[in-house]
Formats: sequence, C-alpha cells, structure tokens
Amino acid sequence: MSDSENITRTQRPCPSQGAAQLGKGRSLWSDGLRRLRRRKLAMVCFVVVLIYFSLAGFIYLAELFDWRIGPTLWAEQVGESYAPPSSENILGTDIFGQSVCRKTLYGTKISITVALCASFISIAIGVPLGAIAGYFRGVADEIIVWIYSTLSSVPYILLILAFAVVLRDKTIFGYKLTGITAVYLAIGLTSWVGICRLIRGEIIKHKGRDYVLAAMSYGSSERRIIFKHLIPNVFHLIIIDFSLRFVAFIHAEVILSFLGLGEADRPSWGAMINDARIELSRGVWWQMAAATAAIFFISLALNIFGDALRDSLDPKLRIQ
Amino acid sequence: MTAYIIRRLLYTIPIVFGVLMLTFVLFTLVGGDISLEIAGKGATQETIDEIREEYGFNKPLFLAWDSQFINHFKSALTFDFGRARDREPIIGKIKRGVGPSLALTVPMFFGVVIISVSLALVVAFVHGSIWDISAVFICVAGMSIPYLSFILFGQYFLAYKWGVFPVFFSPDLTMAQYVALPALIGIVAGLGGNLRFYRTVMLDEMRSDYVRTAFAKGLDTKRVLFKHVLKNAMIPIITRVVLAIPFLFLGSLLLERFFGIPGLGYLMIGAISSRDYFVINAMTYISAILFVVFNLITDICYSLVDPRVSLE
Amino acid sequence: MSILKHKPILLLVGLIAATFVLAGCDSSSSDKDSDEMVLRHALFTKLKGLDPGNMRDVYSVTVASQICETLYQYHFLKRPYEIVPLLAEQMPQISDDFLTYVIKIKKGVYFQDDKCFPGGRGRELKAEDFVFAVKRIANIKYLSQNWSMFDGKIVGLDEFREYTKGCESEDDVDYAREVEGLTASDEHTLVIKLKKTWPQLVGTALADIATAPIAKEAVFSYGKDIVSHPVGTGPFVLKVWHRGSYVELVRNPKFRGEPYPGEGEASDAEAGYLDDAGKIMPFADRVVWTVIEEYQPAWLLFLQGKLDNSPIPKDNYNEAITETRELTPVMKQRNIRLKKFLDPSTFWLGFNMQDPVLGSNKPLRRAISYAIDRDKFIEIFFNGRHLVAHGFIAPLMDSYDPNIKEKGYARYDPEKARELLKEAEQIHGRALPELKMAIPGTDSFSRQLGQFLKRYVTAVGLDVEVEYMDWPTYMEKVNTRSAQMFSSGVRASIPDAEDFLGMFYSKYWAPGSNRFNYLNPEFDRLYEKIEVMFDSPERKELYRKMELLVLEDCPAAFLNHRVVFALHHDWYKNYKPHAFAYGMSKYRRIDMKKRAEYKKLLKTIK
Repeated sequence: MSDSENITRTQRPCPSQGAAQLGKGRSLWSDGLRRLRRRKLAMVCFVVVLIYFSLAGFIYLAELFDWRIGPTLWAEQVGESYAPPSSENILGTDIFGQSVCRKTLYGTKISITVALCASFISIAIGVPLGAIAGYFRGVADEIIVWIYSTLSSVPYILLILAFAVVLRDKTIFGYKLTGITAVYLAIGLTSWVGICRLIRGEIIKHKGRDYVLAAMSYGSSERRIIFKHLIPNVFHLIIIDFSLRFVAFIHAEVILSFLGLGEADRPSWGAMINDARIELSRGVWWQMAAATAAIFFISLALNIFGDALRDSLDPKLRIQ
Repeated sequence: MTAYIIRRLLYTIPIVFGVLMLTFVLFTLVGGDISLEIAGKGATQETIDEIREEYGFNKPLFLAWDSQFINHFKSALTFDFGRARDREPIIGKIKRGVGPSLALTVPMFFGVVIISVSLALVVAFVHGSIWDISAVFICVAGMSIPYLSFILFGQYFLAYKWGVFPVFFSPDLTMAQYVALPALIGIVAGLGGNLRFYRTVMLDEMRSDYVRTAFAKGLDTKRVLFKHVLKNAMIPIITRVVLAIPFLFLGSLLLERFFGIPGLGYLMIGAISSRDYFVINAMTYISAILFVVFNLITDICYSLVDPRVSLE
Repeated sequence: MSILKHKPILLLVGLIAATFVLAGCDSSSSDKDSDEMVLRHALFTKLKGLDPGNMRDVYSVTVASQICETLYQYHFLKRPYEIVPLLAEQMPQISDDFLTYVIKIKKGVYFQDDKCFPGGRGRELKAEDFVFAVKRIANIKYLSQNWSMFDGKIVGLDEFREYTKGCESEDDVDYAREVEGLTASDEHTLVIKLKKTWPQLVGTALADIATAPIAKEAVFSYGKDIVSHPVGTGPFVLKVWHRGSYVELVRNPKFRGEPYPGEGEASDAEAGYLDDAGKIMPFADRVVWTVIEEYQPAWLLFLQGKLDNSPIPKDNYNEAITETRELTPVMKQRNIRLKKFLDPSTFWLGFNMQDPVLGSNKPLRRAISYAIDRDKFIEIFFNGRHLVAHGFIAPLMDSYDPNIKEKGYARYDPEKARELLKEAEQIHGRALPELKMAIPGTDSFSRQLGQFLKRYVTAVGLDVEVEYMDWPTYMEKVNTRSAQMFSSGVRASIPDAEDFLGMFYSKYWAPGSNRFNYLNPEFDRLYEKIEVMFDSPERKELYRKMELLVLEDCPAAFLNHRVVFALHHDWYKNYKPHAFAYGMSKYRRIDMKKRAEYKKLLKTIK
C-alpha cells in the first residue's frame, strides 16, 4: 500500500529534528498502519466507510454534471403511493411514490456532508486554539480555557439545539443559512471543545521534549514550531478523535432533521425517520427500516474502524 | 483547604459570566426581535410597537443603564426570566417540568448504570473469551442504531401493537405507568455505550500492578475481581455518575416528545418549534448553572477526600 | 463483600420486575372514575391562554368557551345557523337607523366562586362587565389580538384607545373613563352606539368569546396570570391546567342551569339529539382535554376508549373508512359512529401581489394555479375527503355559488399552464427567475406539502424553491410582505362570507388579513358597500360578483375546503357537529352503561 507510505512521508517531521524523533515519527505511522492492516474486520469496515464516502462524492459529481442516475432522480415517481418492497422497487415507495432506495442513497450525501463539514469546522477552530493555548499558556490560555469551559458547561444537545434554532434562516454576510448549512455550523461551532482540550494537553506535554527545544534553539519561528513540529506530532490524535466523533455527528444530524431543524427539501435519513413515525401505523415500515439500516452500517463501520485505528496508532490507549 | 474552596468558588464566576455572554449573543444579538409573531394575526403597527416596548426589543443593546445587555444579566442573576410566549412565567414552567423529567431520567440513568456495571463485571471476568468479544460487538452494534429507531420500534411494538404499556401520557395514569416504557427504552438504548465504557474501566483496573500483585499472592480471580477491581473502579464510576446528575434535570428530549411526558424535554421541544427564545435561554442558563454547581461540589468533595487535589 | 457482589444483580432484577408490574397496572387503572361522568377529548396543539379577551386560536377558544359565556350564541340544533340569547335576555332592540343597540341581560347570573371575590363567592353579573370586556380589548397596553374587530366601529372607543396610549402600563388605564357608544344604562341594560351600521355586530362580536365577561376582580387580582385564572359565568370551572399537557374542568356548582333545547332540524329527533330536551345542562361532571400534538397516539387512545371522539388520521383512514365512505366492519363492531360535515374553511397557495415578479404578471399566477392537480392533492393528503376549492367562499356559506366549478378557475390544465408561461415570460421580459414558496412548519406534513406543490409547479417548467420555516419566521415574512408564494388558509368564524371577502380589502394589507396585498379599487368599492349591508339577495349577488373579481385576478391558487370526518363512540351523546360554536361541552352526555360495555367489548376483541 503505497498510499500509507505517502502519508508517512508528508507527515514526517522536518529533517531538522533529532534522529530519534525522526525514527519515532516513521515507526508510529507505518507500525500503526501495519497493525491496522492486519485487522481484517477493521479493513472491511474501512471499505464500508469508503463506499459511503464515495457514494456521497459520486452524488455530488452526478448533480454537478447532471447525470440522470438513481439517487439524483429521487424525486421521480416510480410507483404507487406506499408500494411495499418488490422486485421493481427494492425498498418500496413513499407517500409520493418515490423510491425509498434512491432516497436512502441520496441521504448519504446529506449525512456525510454534514459530518464532514462539522468535522472541518471543529478542527479548524479546535486545533489552532488548542495549540495556541498549550504553547503560549498565559493570558491566551486563560481566555481559551474560559471559552471552552463555558461552552462545555451547557449540555451538549441543548447547545446544539440552541445554535441550530438561532442560526436557522438567518442571513449572515449576505449568505442565508438554510437547511444543512445551519446544521453543520451548529454542530461544528459547538463540538470543537473536545479536540481543543485534547490538543492543548498534548502540546503542553510535547513542549518540553527535546525536538521542540532543539527547534527553539535553532531559532525557528513560533508559528513554524507549532504547525511544522507540534501539530504533526499530535496529528494522529486528531484522526482518532474524529473517526469516532464522526458517528456522533451523523446521529446529531438525524436528530436535528427529526426535530425539523435540518434539511427539509431533500431526503435525509432523519427526515425519513420522521416521516416513518406516522407511516408505521399503516404498516409502512420500509422507510424506517431503510434509514435505520443506512445509519446503522456506517456507524458500526466507523465505530469499529475508529477503535482499531486508535488501538493501532496510539499504543498507550490500547485496551487489549 | 479553605483557600482552595474560595479559589474554586471564584473560578465559577467567569464561567457564569461566560454562559450569560453566550446566551446573550445567541438569543439577543443573533436571535433577534420576535414581536411580529407575538402580535399575532392582523396586528397593527402600533400593537407591534407596544410589544417591542414590553419585551424591551426597542431598547439599546449595549451602552445604556437600561440596555438589553444589562437586563439580560439582571433577569438571569435573579432567576426571573419573565414570561414565555404563552404568558406563563417561565420559572413556573421549569419548576413543574422538573418532576416528570426526573421521574423518567433517574430510574433510566441508574438502571443503565447498575445493569451495565454488573454486566461489565461479568464481561471483564470472562475477558478475552468469545463471550467477551460478542458482548463488545453487540455493544458497538447497539451504539450504532439511531436512538430514534429504538424509540420508534419500542413504542410501536410494546405499546401500539402488543399493548403492554400505555401509548401516551394521560392525566389518569400514575407517574410510574407513563414513565415505564420510555425508561425501559432509554435503558436498552443506553446500555451499549455504557457497558463498553465500564468494561474498559474494569480492564484498566485489571491491568494495574496491584491486581498483578494480588494474583501473584495466589488470590483467585473472583476475589480479585470483587475485592480489588470493583472497589477501585468505583472511583471513575462514581465520578461519571455525579457529573451526569445535572443532566438528569433536563429530562430526555426525544423520549418525552414521543410519549408526551410533560417534563423539561417536552418544554424544550415546544420552545424550539415556536421559537420561544425566552424559554430556551432560561433552560440553557439553568442547566449550565446546575453543571457548574455540581462540578464545584464534586471538586470540593475530592479535595476533602484527597488533599493532593487542593495543592494543584 | 458478598452483599456488594449480589446487590447489582438483585437491583437489576428488582428494577425490571418493577417496570413490568407498573405497566401491568395499566388496564385496571381507569376504572376508578366509573361513577363520574367525564368527557375526554384530545387537543392537537398546546393552549396559549384562557383569557377570553386575547385569544384567537381554535383550541384556546374551545376550552375557554366552557368557562366563559357570551351575550349571544348559535342555536345548538337549528340549521341554518341561528343566533339566540345566552347571557342576554332577548335579541337586541335595534334603533331604526341601525346604530343603537339596547341589550337586556339576564338577572341572577353569578360569576364562578373564586378567591378573587370578597369571601370567595362570585358576585352577580352586571351590564358594566360587558363594557369592561370591550374597553379592555381597546386598551392598547393589553395588546389584544381582537382589536381589529372593533376598529372604527363604536362611538368613542377609538378615542379611548388613543387615551390608553398615553398610559404607563396596563394597570394605569382608568376603565371608568366614559365611552359614549358603550354604556350600561342600568345594572342589567347594555347600550351600544355605532359609528356606522355593523350588520355583523351580534354574530361577530357579541357571540364571540372575545366579549365574554370575565370578572374585573380576577383581572385586577391576578394581573398577568389571568391567562390561567379565567373567572366567568359558564357551566364549568377550571380545575387544573397543566400547561402543554392537559386541562381539566369541573362542573360549576353555582351554574344557573340552562335547559337543553327542545327544537331543531327535522332529522334531529330521529338522530337522538332531542332525547334530552328540556333537561337541565350541563350533564358532565368533568371535562378533560389531553394535549396530544400528534394524531397517532390520539387515534390509539380513541380505539382504547380513552377518548370520546377523534378525527381520522390520514394514515389510519383505510382502517376506519371503506371505499364507499362508510365505516369499516371493524369500526362498526366497536360501535363507533361517523359524522361527516363541512368545515367553513379554505386553503390556498397565496401570491404576494406586491412582489415585483408575481404581482404584475397575471399569466404567471394563473399558470401556477392551473399547474396544480387539486384532486390528486386532496387524494394524497386528505384521502380524498376534502372538496376542491373552485373559489374562496366555502360551501357552507349561504353565498357559496353552486356553479362556481364551471368557471374553471381551479382546473388542472398543465398544457394551458405552459402556454400561459410563455406569455408570462414575455411580460417579464426575460427568463422567469426561481420563485420562493413559504411553508409554515417543518414537520413531516409541511415537508410533504411543499414537495407536492413544488413537484407540480416545476412540472410545467417553473423553478421553485420551497422554504420551510417555523411559524414566527413565516409570520414575519408574510407580515412584512416579503413572501413570494405562501401556503395558508382560513376558517370562517361566522356563517357569513364577510370573513373571506375581508381578505382582499386593500385597507387590510398585511400585517392585516389581506396577506395577498391585493388591491382592486372596484373590489374595495363593493366591499365598503357590503360592509354596512344587512343580509339580502342583493348582497348575496354582490358577494358572488366580488368573488369572481378576485378569482379573475388570481391572487392565490385556491386549493381545498375541509370536510371533517369525525368518529365518536356510541356512548358520546348529543354530538351534533357545529361549525361556529365552541361552548359545546354542556350539551354532551355520556351513556355510562354503554361506556362500561365497551371495556368488556375490548376484551373480547383482543
């Protein structure tokens, strides 16, 4: 797998560091990935996750180039209203006779988009803030710790809801926050606390290490030390954290959509479950089952893969 | 010691201030003026202006003795949140909702803790066996099922189809009756994540040196497990439990909605759909205060038990 | 140690056992009220408040109407609807110029006992109480939603409203201040003087809960909490109002007692509506409304016999109704009865006539109207129960034009729509932009509604973006006239089409009731004419003419009129549908024997 070699190379700390650090950097990633590759189940899960991601990417492409394929044609009427699963419509149809299968596939795009955007936002906020707080300490640290202590003293679900309610349909800088934009903003803006705390702690630990001291004595700029030396050394923690957090984001999107705060115009898993709530009583279980299964498989795959990743990359955290 | 407690108390002030800032920014600066909606259908401009005045939407945001900023602080610090959109005092609503919410969350939470700790012990006991592996797998699978699906299927089969439990809240029912099914669903849904957490806690303990010593002394597994592991694992377990207590007051948003339990979660859902910022603001603030207070209590308790803490 | 070892497992077993034991109690619990006559209903939204002076939503009005009474009411049984006195002794004496109304009120009517009265005993109702009720609505500090009803109608009342603007707060307003057109000439006589004739005074204002007297003592002693302490003269008293959860009323022990009406329509005797004629009402001891915001649980509670009546949720329709619109055998076996009746309501997709794109482009608006398949709409969302709205005056109205269908304003004609779009494009000068459609609500139903409308409008070649918003945002959009298209509806409160016509009068532009911001000078001229006209064939003609004027301009795609299919158990007596009255609990009676039988029946079905 030459891919992993590439990752190793780009992530490797710059050559100015001591030989011991360099060796450690390489062995951490290559060792970890080798360990990971040995876990068959984890690799299966990785493939499942990849399938979801590529499906989402594919739907984006299809919409961009206007390909007329299943998921982008979800709005098309393919049968009677509420037709049960059959050979024609594998997962049956909904109230308008739209294919549940297509809707479920399309929902992948919404969920993956929300979870990805939310992850990027929270990394973009959490990592620099954590690094600054951990590296400079002092007033900057005090302020950052104060901000995240404040945020974490409000229950998470309440915080997301409050953000989502307030941000919904607001126009900010001429851009209207409709549907999922408000959702991933709300999730992203509220969930950087964990990663920020983690990075801050790690940076404090690493600050006293030889390679950092060496870089300082070379006269490297602070920005260089943080972004070229420290962050690459704690990068695996970010990846582990997010492989697990991704699941939480997907579930948060489902709940927000269910509460009517999410995507309204296009199919999403949360909205499908919301519809299914009423339909169950007339015996229409397929919408519910399809959405549940879609969520279940990606969550399961991400959970198992995230665990395996953690076990492989961070031996200290290993459980077994 | 006293110095530590005072320091710890002082430390809560910026947090409370922070929460107030957060709610102000969210609900006043970003949220904005909702007088049009309060006025209702066919309201004249003068009525709308009157409402602006009543709720203070026409006041300056900052930089005035009577600004919205100052009033926001005043109302929060005196716990006088004014009236909700249905003109009932908010604090009354919250007080009334606490009971049903706790009736649901307390049995649910302790049910989850007790069952998952006991199961974790068992699983840790057979650690490494096929039972352990399948238990972990079931946990992860359980964590992967959306919470909504648990509720939906639970309500559909146990209440609608088989009629084992009441379908919905009704004033004739006793609290125990209408809470039974949602609590049961909550326990089942929460089991996966918790069992996995406690299993990790137990295994961490089992790998520590004192356990190795105990085994070396020739104690049998059962004794080690119950005498040493469980006793020491109690510390992280109790910490987790205590820190979860303030969240119990909030009730359960989704369960309360599905079963019509008139608790705080239900109140929140209603406030979200009617954009009642006043209620959401009060709930956010109160839950943050509860969290801060419980954190404070835990920290002080720790410092009493373990003098090293206060030296930090 | 051994205790610790077993504790968790013991607790676990105990907990699970307890859960099931508790749940097992379920079936035996509801027997405790077997000797009491309790009416049980569902409320589908939360109550907003029980202060009659400031409420407009159907559910609050429904509950408050059992507690407070009005001067006049609609006759329970007679059709066409007829107004009869309730708190008034007889119909008003009207002067020859139709400007002065003298109303005698009943003697010996007492307010409910409440701690706001000295000694806790309710005092006698006086004419002054009605004066107070109306002045209170006029008080701008009270922020009543009902003011528009009185705007510019009663001599001196507008000046009173002007005066209240200068007051500091609600409490500073001096209610003793004279209003010329609204006086109590003696303790039991109310005199109203009008600025111009107001044919709907009795129907719109004096039979509306807004003018129901509420004890002044309660208003002053409860202050803002009056919303949860209504003190009226009605047959029931508020016992518990657990906000957002349930409301419970109990019989007012001091209620004067009203006899059940003895005459009605020809078919009423056969239907059993006259069985209780002459008996003293109310019959029930308690009335309970449980707030159930979803139809599903309500439906199940109904089938379990825990609610007396229920609408049919669309997803359970096939379970209850056969293709011939009759009850299914399953329902018949349970002795469930079906009532079908017209609801005086109209729903539409409205166009903002002040919008730069839509407002000046009639072919575009008509194209959208022709693009929507109303039959399909009604089939999907209402199981085909509702009626297509060919115009906006609801079928129940006297002025409803039975031939309106032939005018063809509501037909589904995608071909014609495409043709009109070409014309629309020419008017617009370039390609038509994407149109925005505002849908109030973010729940499943709203989302499906939006998707449906979008699907049909885009099918003829228009671009539409549906914006789902919560109610406040929606209201703001409509009230600030910034919505382009919006889904909305109205229900008439009186058996006269004036409510519908008022929606197009240019003086009522949003935030008033004319949300279309429709302007047609000819229509305005006619509206000002009919506003002061009493019912006559001539007025009816004018109504129809005005309706056509509006339809021709197409300020909305009118979609449907609601038809209610309501189910009730056979023990729920005197349930005659009524489109305009709310204070109905006093008429209802429970056949306790039949109710007990249902429990046995349920067991055999299971």
